[in-house]
Amino acid sequence: MNPDPKTMPDPSAMISVRNLSKLYKDFIALDRISFDVQRGEKIVVLGPSGSGKSTLIRCFNRIEPHDSGILSIDGRVINAQTDLTQLRATVGLVFQNYNLFPHLSVLDNCTLAPRLVKKTPRADAEEMAMRFLRQVNIAEQANKYPIQLSGGQQQRVAIARALCMQPEVMLFDEPTAALDPEAISGVVGIMNDLAQQGITTLCVTHEMGFARHIADRIIFMDKGRILEITPPAEFFTNPRTQRARDFLDQMISY
Amino acid sequence: MTHSMARFMRRCSSRFRPRALAAALAGVLAIAGSAQAAEPDLPGFIHDGTLTVCTNPTLPPMTFVNGTDVNAVDGIDMDIAHRLADYWHVPMVVTTMDFTGLFPSLAAQRCSMVASGIIKLPEREKNFDAISYQDTALVVVARAGTPRLSSMADLSGKTVAVQSGTSYSARLAQENEALAKAGRAPIIIQQYPTEDQVVQQVLIGRVFAFASQDVELYYRQEQLHGKVSVILVPPYPEYRHFALYIRKNAHDRELLEQAIATMGQNGQMAAIQKKWAISPDAAKALANTPAPPMFRWDTFFSALTSAAFMRGAFITLAVAVLSHFTAIMISIPMALALNGRDSLLKMALKGYVSVFRGAPTLLQLLFIWNALPQFLPIFREAWFTPFLATWLSLSINESAYQVEINRAALGAVDKGQELAGDALAMSRRQVYRHVIFPQALRIALPPTINEFISLLKTTSLASVISLQELLAVTQIQVARTFEFTEYYAAALVYYLAMVFFFLFLQKRVERRFAWADRHKATANES
Repeated sequence: MNPDPKTMPDPSAMISVRNLSKLYKDFIALDRISFDVQRGEKIVVLGPSGSGKSTLIRCFNRIEPHDSGILSIDGRVINAQTDLTQLRATVGLVFQNYNLFPHLSVLDNCTLAPRLVKKTPRADAEEMAMRFLRQVNIAEQANKYPIQLSGGQQQRVAIARALCMQPEVMLFDEPTAALDPEAISGVVGIMNDLAQQGITTLCVTHEMGFARHIADRIIFMDKGRILEITPPAEFFTNPRTQRARDFLDQMISY
Repeated sequence: MTHSMARFMRRCSSRFRPRALAAALAGVLAIAGSAQAAEPDLPGFIHDGTLTVCTNPTLPPMTFVNGTDVNAVDGIDMDIAHRLADYWHVPMVVTTMDFTGLFPSLAAQRCSMVASGIIKLPEREKNFDAISYQDTALVVVARAGTPRLSSMADLSGKTVAVQSGTSYSARLAQENEALAKAGRAPIIIQQYPTEDQVVQQVLIGRVFAFASQDVELYYRQEQLHGKVSVILVPPYPEYRHFALYIRKNAHDRELLEQAIATMGQNGQMAAIQKKWAISPDAAKALANTPAPPMFRWDTFFSALTSAAFMRGAFITLAVAVLSHFTAIMISIPMALALNGRDSLLKMALKGYVSVFRGAPTLLQLLFIWNALPQFLPIFREAWFTPFLATWLSLSINESAYQVEINRAALGAVDKGQELAGDALAMSRRQVYRHVIFPQALRIALPPTINEFISLLKTTSLASVISLQELLAVTQIQVARTFEFTEYYAAALVYYLAMVFFFLFLQKRVERRFAWADRHKATANES
């Protein structure tokens, strides 16, 4: 299943990574990562904290620039010369802390980037925003400010905001980590819907239900390296590495 | 020989140096003898064909504002300056400024001459040429009814007020040395920036006496209603002549002496002296006017509605708004650089902030107005007005404070906001313009309004470089009329009105930041 690190990236894959590494001074955050993600695939990245999961997916929209190796998104190699506007319009990112713009209404949060970046006329941007807000079941809050919403509602707005850029890949960086169980089910439900629609998804999460039922493959990371890439059925029943077994034991006992 | 000519000759013989006397006499003879058509030689200090006279118009009757128009400086000095300008057939321009700014401005070539009721003193003549034009005497003045003193030593242990920047305090210090040798208590010297404040200290009884010149006291009698009287005329050989000061130049000095001599000879000097009634007899008559009421409401209201005050308030407001606007514009990129990575630029900016926060604002104003032209002659030219100098100075000064507010406000915006903007493909400019700045503005607004209110009041310092802002206008009116309470009250009303307006504006703007508060956001919605 793992591609040979020596080969060139696969231009037909949505995301193709070869020997990707990233350093923070002396700390190796990512250590020679190689894998491919096909169009429409749903990948869940698991691993203990500090294993490099968030850093990995943040490399894909170059919010974290990688230091070495090759990264290709939609057939284009990503490096310092890459047009970031185009890349980031293709790859959406949802944060753990939502990071909504507090000074803008829900609707304006959703329309700001399309209007500024894509020069979408306001009316069109608002129409599209309302469509996505309905999809995440929050259309009735469109004129409120983020501070007036609950955490789960805010995260759903953040998803709608990312969708308004009509990305081909959605990255979720622990989207439910800051939420209470009730809110989690709402957000996971929306992620399920999106997955059904066929958008390529990479999700860093501890939400095992999503990992087990929706993911096509699980990437298990530790200390900046990929230890396993396997379908969830296999990962949850018969992990190949001891580290993964320990990790799963902890998750269950917790 | 006329009376004035006799006075003039007496002055020549006793005070002028022999060489100067010869020159003056030669000048008189030359003018008297030659045809009137002969154009007098123009002195070098007449720059660009204009006689620029610097004065601090707070010393009646020598130089003061004799009405509500602050630009209309009047007095003996101004009359003499006009006659001099006529004599050389050049236009005259009067530049008013704080007393302490006069000599630095003369050195910086901003003035042709200083004519401001200044005494001829040897120590001043080390750096400048002084040409005397009017006799005078130092007087010690106390409230009416105070017994006369027999010598300066009688002031031992008493408090005396003098105008700062004048030589009186140095002279009193000399007295104190003598008193110390005799084992007696020194005279306590209090210095005030304007002559009217000096007089006020005696009127309200805070100090025992003040030192001044006789001519001023004669003139003041009308306003003082006989409340003060001379208690001592110390036998100082100096303090006997008012002088015009110019930059050191033997030729210019001769030409100015010639001109003054001519005015003494043709009766112009005598006419000026008569016009201003600078004699003891005239003063006594004036002293018998009735005492004024405690608070003259008509003075207060006419000050409040006067063009002079409105103009002063407008200048105060304009220089404060422009300076703060410029400071904000400078300080935003500075704050961004200071929040960024370490670099040489960041080091330099840290130095900038330290220097301009560390140095007193008054010192910075004086430096830019008086010292800068010595390095860069371009700042000596007429385009560099007191308004521009204040704007420049306060902008730089204020930016050093504002940068700290901006830095804190930018730093207080959650780092996730920038990340979110980046992730949504927005450019750096768009992220700052639409995401970071609007949020930083909410945090920066209250301390910024605070700074602005402080700056609005700091503008009053600019009176030292002759900016005719609100407080300068007030002081000039007070110097003219001695109606302290009325004019101070009018100035207070103006300052408070301006400050309240900006506080009101702050409230209005803060209402737009309801998004930061859950309850307010919900309240606004319903």
